[in-house]
Amino acid sequence: MNLEIKNLYKKYDGNTIFKDFSIGFPEGTITCILGPSGCGKTTLLNIIGNMLKPDRGTLTGFDSKAASYIFQDPRLLPWKTVEDNILFVINKELPEEERRRKADQFIRLVDLEEFAKYYPSKLSGGMRQRVSIARAFAFPSDIILMDEPLNGLDIKLKLNLIRIFSLIWQADKRTVIFVTHDVDEALLLGNQIVVLSQAPVQIIKHEKVEAPVTNRSLDADNFKDLKKRLMDALGN
Amino acid sequence: MKNSFISKQFISLASVIFLLAVWKILALHFNSDFILPPPEKTFITTLGLFGNSHFLAIVGSTVLRGLIGFIISCILGLGLGIIAGISPDFSAFLRPILVVTRSTPVIALILLALIWLSPGLVPVFIAMLTMFPFICTNVIDGIKSVDPDLVGMATFYRISQRRIIREVYIPAILPFIISGASSAMGIGWRAVITGEVLSQPQYGIGTVMQGAQTFLNVDAVIAWTILAVLISFGFEKAIRWCERKLILWRS
Repeated sequence: MNLEIKNLYKKYDGNTIFKDFSIGFPEGTITCILGPSGCGKTTLLNIIGNMLKPDRGTLTGFDSKAASYIFQDPRLLPWKTVEDNILFVINKELPEEERRRKADQFIRLVDLEEFAKYYPSKLSGGMRQRVSIARAFAFPSDIILMDEPLNGLDIKLKLNLIRIFSLIWQADKRTVIFVTHDVDEALLLGNQIVVLSQAPVQIIKHEKVEAPVTNRSLDADNFKDLKKRLMDALGN
Repeated sequence: MKNSFISKQFISLASVIFLLAVWKILALHFNSDFILPPPEKTFITTLGLFGNSHFLAIVGSTVLRGLIGFIISCILGLGLGIIAGISPDFSAFLRPILVVTRSTPVIALILLALIWLSPGLVPVFIAMLTMFPFICTNVIDGIKSVDPDLVGMATFYRISQRRIIREVYIPAILPFIISGASSAMGIGWRAVITGEVLSQPQYGIGTVMQGAQTFLNVDAVIAWTILAVLISFGFEKAIRWCERKLILWRS
């Protein structure tokens, strides 16, 4: 069953952000949501993540699902090491040994095994965001919500994080809803890309990308074409 | 880095030597043990204190009073501070009480305590009243400084309320508790000794200082003072040590 939002209405500080808005997310795929900043992308994620109540509208398929969240800033607990930050979200009822094994597994997946005992203050921004990715996958969720987690990182780090993310996802295909304003990020990660308008939000473009997410290059011709269409839709 | 550390220590040492030199010059100038005994004589008197048959009882009583006052104010400060940090209403209720206790002159509190309490309890009560506002205010500030985004993250990952308090709130306010404890201790020892001077319990540094002052044993007054400074310094070091052990994650 797909995850669906139907006829969503939401006002925020007196502004109408969503007015009869509908969108669907095929399960086990990555949906990238592109849109100008301040258009309500984060509001949409917060509604999906149940941190914000819609004024009206129905969400189907979300009820029984658990979600992880990769925030814009990594939101790691500064007093916990990398390992303990990941253990933090792993079920306390599991045997200690299994919890540690699980944490180690995800630390390895994001290439941080040497840094497992480090505190976040000793890590670079990109490394912290990798911990946040590991934490999101270590939590037994069905959906992963991402709110511009690559913001503020340089292009090399971005590509590296996208590579790491796509490799983990390839082996563990959860439903990902990835909000960004960067077309390149969307092109590299999305199975489908949705372009939103300014508030009140409407979908102005919906593209499917067939190439596997682990092996994409922005230089490919079909990508250049798609990029142009997306940029046009975004109005720049 | 190492160099600047050494040179800082050197400067601190120079400052101590400067103090001793000024003291020595003044002592030579007055040339009277009843006004200002020279540092070397006072130093010998300080060493002699350890030979005092009641030394342990005297120092122990003062330290014990300070610690009891500190522990009570910690319990009160933490408890009330956490409630005030969570509830703005209770915070508004508590603020004036904290301001009043903090701005009341210590001597006024002592004079009242002398009327109400037994001599041994006066310094404890004073220590508690002077330390409590520091700890409580810091706990309130600490709770307010807890990053709501971290609490949001923990809630999103379905962490229980109890674990959020233990693993998010408490570690976040720990540095504030320690810095509150440090300022509280600094002021607390002075309050305890002032209380002892006026209430005259059987044993206590304040009691013996008052006795020495009565007989113009200026060297003894200064010797006990040096001891009081050392005790305060020792506790400050202990708090800093705890800080380093507990807050490894900073820096």
